[in-house]
Amino acid sequence: MHEVSIAESLLKIAVDECKGNGYTKINNVKVCIGYASGVMPEALLFAFDALKSGTIASDATLTIEEVPVAGHCSSCSVDFETYEKFVLCCPQCGSSAYTLHAGRELDIKELEVA
Amino acid sequence: MEFKVASKILQANERIALENRRIFSDAGVYVINLMSSPGAGKTSLLETTIAGLKHALKIGVIEGDITGTDDAVRINRLGVPVVQINTGGACHLDANMINEVIPDLPLDELDLLVIENVGNLVCPAEFQVGEDMKVMVLSIAEGHDKPLKYPLMFQESAALIINKIDLSPFLDVDIDKIKKDSLSLNPSIKIFELSCKSGKGVDQWTSWLQTLTS
Repeated sequence: MHEVSIAESLLKIAVDECKGNGYTKINNVKVCIGYASGVMPEALLFAFDALKSGTIASDATLTIEEVPVAGHCSSCSVDFETYEKFVLCCPQCGSSAYTLHAGRELDIKELEVA
Repeated sequence: MEFKVASKILQANERIALENRRIFSDAGVYVINLMSSPGAGKTSLLETTIAGLKHALKIGVIEGDITGTDDAVRINRLGVPVVQINTGGACHLDANMINEVIPDLPLDELDLLVIENVGNLVCPAEFQVGEDMKVMVLSIAEGHDKPLKYPLMFQESAALIINKIDLSPFLDVDIDKIKKDSLSLNPSIKIFELSCKSGKGVDQWTSWLQTLTS
């Protein structure tokens, strides 16, 4: 996907949040990335490290928590969780009558600042 | 010191997309984000659609390309308002690019605005631009393996246009597999099989479009 645009966007949010709360340095940024979000964690880490220099996050680390895909099947009533990037049918019964409620996350969760 | 943020990383794009959507809806314009790989026939579909609906609907177009104005020139020939965006390298349109060209369009005069995204089967599906609906085009020459190789666009689209069906005698392509796999990825996707070249199947698409925008 667009790990560079995503890293730019998350750096901007982190810097704005940090400054807005009266701090001057970011030590760590924690993000949640869904398995089905299309984002590759390695590429995001690479882009984050490339873009952070010259900002108040220049020494910051990026912690990525990967979120599995989770859903509910209305055919067999199972709640499922999977580490597949794309769900094509209910893993239990094969039906396509399922809804997903997790796995597309692209969220900033926490900042460690000084 | 740690503190919670809980913010969506792409929130800036989503915020601008919502603003675009509000502007379009206030002006009474229905907006389609048209996506496909390069060469699937987005511009041909637009030309065919405009020819079929020109008298029923006032249509405007935003053309997104990395560079060049070929598509805008083609659309301009049909006498409908068109704005070209050159992304200068970016492989998709984002909400801000659309926001910047809104003043160049006579929105109050339009019923339908089609945003032709950059040809790419991956990235455009990730970015909202302010559309009411995403529509994708897949030409049968691309092969029947595409839904399962590029699932996100099939999952995000409200309609799939299977184009170039006139080529089917010359190709070893299983159109039923394209339909079956698309429906398993997205049970509510509406599928149209047509040929912009021969005109076959175009009426079903334009009639459906007309019901959505009326």
